[in-house]
Amino acid sequence: MSESVEPIQHGSLLHYRPWQGQLEDDSRWGVFLFVGVQTVLFTVMATISDLHWLRLACILLFVALWGLVVRSRAWPITRVALLMVFRRKLFWVIYTLAVLVFLLFFFGQYLMSWALTQFGETEVRVGGMGRANPKFLVDLFRDQLKMNGSAEMFRNFFWYEGYTVMVILALAGSILVGNDIRFGSLAFYLSKPISRWDYLIGKGLAVAVFVNLITTIPAVLLFVQFGMLEDWNYFLEQSRLLVGILGYGLILTVTLSLVLLATAVWVRKTVPLIMTWTTLFLFCRLLSEALVNNLQFDPRWRLLDLWNSTMYLGHLCLGIQETQIRPWPQPAWEETALVLGGVCCLCLSYLILRIRGVEIVT
Amino acid sequence: MLANSTSEVLIELERVSRWYGTFQALDEVSLRIAPGRVGLLGPNGAGKSTLLKILLGLLPPSAGSGRVLGLELGRAGTNLRRAIGYMPEAESLIPGLSGADYVGLAGELYGMPRRQAMRRAHEVLTYLELQEARYRKLEEYSTGMKQRIKLAAALVHDPPVLLLDEPTSGLDPAGRDAMLELLRVLGREHGKSLILCTHLLGDVERVCETVLILHRGRVLRQGSVAELCASRQDRFRLQVAGDSSAFGEELRQEGAILIQNNGKGRLRVAVPEGWNPRTFFVLASNHGVTITGLERDDETLEELFHRVLREADTPVPRVLETRHV
Repeated sequence: MSESVEPIQHGSLLHYRPWQGQLEDDSRWGVFLFVGVQTVLFTVMATISDLHWLRLACILLFVALWGLVVRSRAWPITRVALLMVFRRKLFWVIYTLAVLVFLLFFFGQYLMSWALTQFGETEVRVGGMGRANPKFLVDLFRDQLKMNGSAEMFRNFFWYEGYTVMVILALAGSILVGNDIRFGSLAFYLSKPISRWDYLIGKGLAVAVFVNLITTIPAVLLFVQFGMLEDWNYFLEQSRLLVGILGYGLILTVTLSLVLLATAVWVRKTVPLIMTWTTLFLFCRLLSEALVNNLQFDPRWRLLDLWNSTMYLGHLCLGIQETQIRPWPQPAWEETALVLGGVCCLCLSYLILRIRGVEIVT
Repeated sequence: MLANSTSEVLIELERVSRWYGTFQALDEVSLRIAPGRVGLLGPNGAGKSTLLKILLGLLPPSAGSGRVLGLELGRAGTNLRRAIGYMPEAESLIPGLSGADYVGLAGELYGMPRRQAMRRAHEVLTYLELQEARYRKLEEYSTGMKQRIKLAAALVHDPPVLLLDEPTSGLDPAGRDAMLELLRVLGREHGKSLILCTHLLGDVERVCETVLILHRGRVLRQGSVAELCASRQDRFRLQVAGDSSAFGEELRQEGAILIQNNGKGRLRVAVPEGWNPRTFFVLASNHGVTITGLERDDETLEELFHRVLREADTPVPRVLETRHV
């Protein structure tokens, strides 16, 4: 703590009156302006990108969430929650894995772009199979590895990073929320002049930071990197891909935040939380795959697998063709969206009920 | 925003009731409390917690109206909690945080900018003599330190009113003395109004100027501690020389109740209505006992509390007395 310690002033205890006005929320217009500018920007972006309405809905949800966040007094809660997790060494170990995946894509893209500039027009021999243009070979190699700034590359990136996200969230859940219930810290928060929504937003925001730190932000960086390596027109031509990345990140953020908070409030301790989390995202996955792939049940059984549903909608956001989506077959995306929305609503209702039941005055 | 922070009235309730389904926790409570140190007493289920929740803006009243520091109950919402510092009975600490971080976070949640909150946290921790422990993790604190850090979190925004829920809970005698002295100083020297909710009547006697007794959702007594304890006209404290046991027996036969006889000539007696104090001297002379001292016997707060509850529980309907402080 670097704050300088000033000598005690007994008088200040009598004359300090922050609650007499300056703490009133005068920033209302600032919030409207902030959210308004975002709405305009995203609408323009949506117009030039010829958006599917699902992606447009994601944008509106994103802007609405921003409005809620900026309007709330949740930042101190978020900061403390992040601090608690950042202090754990295990977090940094797992986060390093996520960074390695990002670096793999980052330098992979860079290497491919660099390699393209190293070949002339001369054809080269490819083993005993004859001769080929080196540019053609590198292009082929790049497309096979999907290091080409396409939707498939971002799909792969989200897929690999997804595993890290799940592990980090399983570990962070009990620290973020479970401890507040176990040690009665929730009463500390709720006895202050904040609403229960501020608490939920604060904690949800902390989960969102983890999710986006590992997925959305690196994905946007990869997008920017590819545009700068290739051609500036990439930004304009693939602007819908950027919206898709943000949409994918938003779906992950909202779903995982709510499910994690609800699970952490329910089971509270780290080990049971990891077990529940594993059941939700691993056992349900295996079960649904067994039912649909092996026993040829209706694809709707995949709706049991929340992770699959999240990824499926994310892929649609990125604009991946249905034929490219794995595993296949999938239920209709509307059904998936409905189930995922229903799960989110259930989690939110449970959270509100559970937090409303906390006795601040015992 | 406070409507009128210099108001003479700290809390003003007008026929405030609160139901939980069919159970009535508060029954038309009307009271006016001036700024000062107030003890809130009552057995379990008396409605203290409900009253605190209403005062903190956590619950709206089902009926009636009221104001705390000029803020309308049920409408002020979070503004009520901004004007009040609340020290909960439960531990409510955040494991992993240092004392300074914890109090600073409380300041931020009260709406202070971070730098200001941290500066205030250091000031308040120094004031509460926790300066040496401020960078230690909260889970390493002793019970006394935990109570003080909770008080620091309630004081960080310098509220005019402190709502203290069992502030001496779990403290050893020395820690309890220190906490009570601290509360007295906060009330006397810093002009804080305290509402002390506790089961320990001794704490109320030592800290509070006025007391409010709640039972079954109703206010049974409200007034200054001295005033309420001195209100008995039917009790006497006698110092006698001679055979006090025979004298005591004679008193019993005359309808008086011997509350206490310490065997050394010191008696406490409850007398029936219409008793003339001269009767003591008449009866004493019958037994060759000399009365060397006679004075009206003030109740302790504990006696008052139990008597008031006993009276309230008797089936005979009686008009409940409430006084404005």
